[in-house]
Amino acid sequence: MSETLKQVQEAADVLREKLPFTPEVGLILGSGLGVMADTLDNPAVIPYGDIPHFPVSTVPGHAGELVAGEIEGKKAVIMKGRFHLYEGYDVKRVTLPIRVMRRLGVRTLVITNAAGGINESFEPGDLMLIRDHINFMFRNPLIGPNDEELGVRFPDMSEPYSARLRELARQAAQAQGISLREGVYLGLLGPSYETPAEIRMMRTLGADAVGMSTVPEVIAARHAGLEVLGISCISNMAAGILDQPLSHAEVMETAERVREKFVRLVRGAIALL
Amino acid sequence: MDRTDTFGYRMQIRDAADHLKGLLAERFGSAKPEIGLILGSGLGELGDRVENPLIVDYAQLPHFPRSTVAGHSGRFVFGELEGKRVAVMQGRFHYYEGYSMRRVVFPVYVMREIGVNTLVLTNAAGGLNKSFAAGDLMLLSDHINLTGDNPLIGPNDEELGPRFPDMSAVYDPELRALARKAASGIDGLRLVEGVYCGITGPSYSPPAELRMLQVIGGDAIGMSTVPEAIAARHAGLRVLGISCITDMALPDELEPLTHEQVVAVAERTKPKFIELVRGILREMP
Repeated sequence: MSETLKQVQEAADVLREKLPFTPEVGLILGSGLGVMADTLDNPAVIPYGDIPHFPVSTVPGHAGELVAGEIEGKKAVIMKGRFHLYEGYDVKRVTLPIRVMRRLGVRTLVITNAAGGINESFEPGDLMLIRDHINFMFRNPLIGPNDEELGVRFPDMSEPYSARLRELARQAAQAQGISLREGVYLGLLGPSYETPAEIRMMRTLGADAVGMSTVPEVIAARHAGLEVLGISCISNMAAGILDQPLSHAEVMETAERVREKFVRLVRGAIALL
Repeated sequence: MDRTDTFGYRMQIRDAADHLKGLLAERFGSAKPEIGLILGSGLGELGDRVENPLIVDYAQLPHFPRSTVAGHSGRFVFGELEGKRVAVMQGRFHYYEGYSMRRVVFPVYVMREIGVNTLVLTNAAGGLNKSFAAGDLMLLSDHINLTGDNPLIGPNDEELGPRFPDMSAVYDPELRALARKAASGIDGLRLVEGVYCGITGPSYSPPAELRMLQVIGGDAIGMSTVPEAIAARHAGLRVLGISCITDMALPDELEPLTHEQVVAVAERTKPKFIELVRGILREMP
């Protein structure tokens, strides 16, 4: 048995004892979007510190707990706080929770993040359905010997973000009167924000938004056979578009402003599952 | 340890800085260096022009690795240039030498700790922009980090800088204006401006990669500077970047390239480079 599988099993064994049900939907909440977890009724809250092999998140705005509860009648586990490569975690560690969720029974994963807008038609506060991604992180969570119990050696990436779920999200957005963008998310290591020259490069490459997460998680999720929905909150315009410096405070402020709309969209999409 | 122990890293910075502060106080009293210069391949001679120099080999300093590249001598020269108190690094650490990113940028934090507030980064670079020629000097307008790494990965130490530093103007616009002004008075100097692509090396890039770099907006390519510039902005330093275009890296006209050629062109361009940096220092308030 591979080390990863062993860790996944140990974490899943502990969580099965603590969870009130077998979850079917998993959610990962990005910077400033953790509030989604507070909208559940009678949530079970498990700090990452209580879960074997889960690191503790080091970023302000990322709480670091697993919250279980029902969303629109679906049994869900929410990762409130994720692990980033820029924190110094190995890419296998960053993606471990995905495998644990799969082991627990999750088949649908909703991944959210705060991202910088590269597409000039976007505005801070927009929500973007992720259509595809570009892995510009120079890391891949599947490097190393493959464990067939976890997934195939060469997973297909022709549709990392499920077309079916994207259609559901569009329907939910329409029903809620939420305008929804769509585009390509480019994942970077960070933690320094991008330079204007880097943003121009990304635009040339076909990216609409840029961020420091999501890509490794989605690769691992597809490897694990999960169906993925990705939603970015455009928290700021990327460097060089507006004549102003970027700050984490701005990211958090926009997320705060958008969260009500964001929660409605995610709940709406989950209701249609 | 490099990536996780920020406290240890800060202590190492302080350790090396304290050592330097002692040597500097002994020699210069309370006067602190304000401008740091990191000299690239073949450009080290500027350090020999420093007046009243105090030379400190990196080997004398705790936690400093030794530079392993020919043309990089591996020492600090402290003293005065054009009336400004400078800390000149003759020799830098490159990622391709096998150092971690944290180690590559270690001297940047040490320089800030001893008083430096402005950092001039220089390098030898290949020209990707067809309007450039070998022997041009290029002011860095911006950079693209293609190293696949970042010196700030790991837990952040707020004492060193913010978790997510802004990079919207890495190369200080005022310093660039000052450099343009200084260049206008130098005979035979062509100062161009452009985007520097930082790759890891140490292999030079094949034509297909050079073409890709042109497509994504690169004007020059080199194996240094980007990590140092990121760390310097993290540390709140003002940054100026100057490339000596030592060869043209045009995908369809590429000739075999050796490090000796790079050093030879740098050698030839050196007098103009030295004059430019001196002029910039003179112009600085």
